[in-house]
Amino acid sequence: MNKLKLIIQHEYMTIVGKKSFIIMTLLIPFLILLVGCIPVLMAYINSSADTTVTRIAVIDESGKYGGAFKDSPNYRFVIMQGDKATNAHEFYKNAGESIDAVMVIPASVLEDQQATIYSENTIDQGTISMLTGCLNDTLARAKIASFNDPDLESKIEQSQVSAQIKSIKWDEKGDEQEQSAQFASILGMILSFLTYTFVLSYGAMIMNSVVEEKTNRIVEVIVSSCRPMELMMGKIIGVGLVGLTQFAIWVVLLGIGYVVLGLVAGGAMAVSSPEAITAGMNMPGGTDMASGAIGDVMTALAGINWLSLLGNFVIYFIGGYLLYASLFAGFGSAVDQASDSSQFTMPIILIMIVALYAGIACIENPSGPMAVWCSIIPFTSPIVMMVRLPFDVPWWQLLLSIVLLYATALGCIWISARIYRTGILLYGKKRSFKEVLKWIK
Amino acid sequence: MNFIDVNSVVKQYDGHMALDHVDLHVPQGCIYGLLGPNGAGKTSLIRIINRITRADSGTVMINGRPLEDKDITNIGYLPEERGLYKKIKVSDEIVYLARLKGMPKQLAVAEMEKWLKRFDLTEWRNRKVEELSKGMQQKVQFITTVIHRPQLLIFDEPFSGFDPVNAEQLKHEIMQLRNEGSTILFSTHNMASVEEICEKITLINHSRVVLEGNVADIKQQHKKNLFVVNVEGDKSIEPNDNLFEVVPSDKHQGTLIKLRPGVTLHDTIAWLNENYILTGINEQLPSMNEIFIETVSNK
Repeated sequence: MNKLKLIIQHEYMTIVGKKSFIIMTLLIPFLILLVGCIPVLMAYINSSADTTVTRIAVIDESGKYGGAFKDSPNYRFVIMQGDKATNAHEFYKNAGESIDAVMVIPASVLEDQQATIYSENTIDQGTISMLTGCLNDTLARAKIASFNDPDLESKIEQSQVSAQIKSIKWDEKGDEQEQSAQFASILGMILSFLTYTFVLSYGAMIMNSVVEEKTNRIVEVIVSSCRPMELMMGKIIGVGLVGLTQFAIWVVLLGIGYVVLGLVAGGAMAVSSPEAITAGMNMPGGTDMASGAIGDVMTALAGINWLSLLGNFVIYFIGGYLLYASLFAGFGSAVDQASDSSQFTMPIILIMIVALYAGIACIENPSGPMAVWCSIIPFTSPIVMMVRLPFDVPWWQLLLSIVLLYATALGCIWISARIYRTGILLYGKKRSFKEVLKWIK
Repeated sequence: MNFIDVNSVVKQYDGHMALDHVDLHVPQGCIYGLLGPNGAGKTSLIRIINRITRADSGTVMINGRPLEDKDITNIGYLPEERGLYKKIKVSDEIVYLARLKGMPKQLAVAEMEKWLKRFDLTEWRNRKVEELSKGMQQKVQFITTVIHRPQLLIFDEPFSGFDPVNAEQLKHEIMQLRNEGSTILFSTHNMASVEEICEKITLINHSRVVLEGNVADIKQQHKKNLFVVNVEGDKSIEPNDNLFEVVPSDKHQGTLIKLRPGVTLHDTIAWLNENYILTGINEQLPSMNEIFIETVSNK
């Protein structure tokens, strides 16, 4: 037992002490935050840093709608009365540098719903949608006015509907809890991706470590001091603890990052005017929608049983890790060089990919037969069950699935240990899958 | 008393017989040579004594009782294919391997300092193993083998990779360990070193023991009645049909003669004294190298 502890400690310290581990552990949350921030940052830069002013001459042939366009920090309008005879191109030429574009509103604009903008430069999409928005508003009001009903405008206002379907879950006592199916799906997906990536990358790490010890020939020295089983388990547990450490560091770092970012973003919001941000996001009523979404997420967050979710996540994570990591260790011992390992890793990785796809497919119907079966079968359950966890899973399914997972993990450890104790001492020719399976006997 | 007794051990791999009823008896405090050509089964036997693998049948006794898992802390093993973790510090490597052999940390550190000093490696203690020269890595490996003061040391080709100066130092350390009470099992192809340091040997060929005993006795058993004779005036000696023949050899100062069957040394000396002025006669025992080659190629 003491030796196992020593091996775990050694494996753990060897990886954690590496520069590459420290750098990756610190860098990845930063990268995630950065990727998350990019859209917000871009919108912010767009709205605050854009000081260019576009000057547009509006030749209003209708004589009514030129007033639709009001100056704003980025746009200046020169409204002119005109008629069909006015030559926009000539006007643009004569104006020289003083205007950037000429917009022509024909007399029939209300009927045709068509205006034109001319320029020697390309007009960007933002400008066009802004102009379209202004014109539409004005034309809509003109249409309403043409019905000669003074109450029409308020009637239309009142008939605007935006219906939503609220999802309420009853708990055992019949109390109501609001839940967001969308949020639960996303959460499930994140958890299953997390399990997949961790198990795969740490499984590969174990495999490399096994092969390295074999190539180094140190393995013969080590197994003359301890049992091969102790060495293998020490490696699996040590590397697993590294994974949990990395995970914990990321959770803390992301938490800090989230808070800091929240403060910075809050400050930035207060400084710049709301209109600028709205205009920058190019989304009328954007802030309302954003705050609404945050509210939804908050309610959804409160609607989830975090204790059971995280508890189950850890149980499945450990079970899945033990299952796959032991297979990686066992088959890793059968090769002399990491480059020869693909024939053994391929089937393992394929099973994991199948599990991931099953997980993705189960999002649509987390209680459907496929989801239920895949969350009970041990090789797919650690990944698929993650998708189902945020929704309620019947306790018997959960229990069955966990028992099967751990029983299979123990079986895999037993099989791998038998392959391992033979494999680590054999060098030379490449072994076939069939040959390796014989070592289990 | 024997420290290790291997009795009738059999080991098979995939239908290949690696050890066929092998016996080995290593006395306490002895430097014992385990000899044999490549693939004879030496490593298989060593791995069984180390408890890295198990025998299919037969027993291994240590100090008169069956070998158990806990006994491995009392064994130091230097495998032929040397191996160390390359990316960790020399001191971490030594302390880790010593602790795996059951040494408490503080004792491991203290012993390590002694050994590093002895091998002039103290200033390298904080370097990574991969930065050391091959010779230095060999020394580190040797330290990891002996640091826990095991009662049984198994060296598989200990001198390979050492230059003559370091090999001499290593030989000295091995003798020292024996003098301090360790029993040493020594597997090698280097017959010169066997003659120099081994007291007893077992020769394995094709998975079986083919020769076993004291080095001196074996040499006696394999002697060919060869003598180097020196006479005054460096005269060459003519062969004698009744007593001896002359064996052509340019390796010796003098004449190499081989006594004919049934002839005694006494009669030969008497005859030589009558015909020459005899200044010296020395028996020429076969080298272990010759015995090895002869035994292995006869089978």
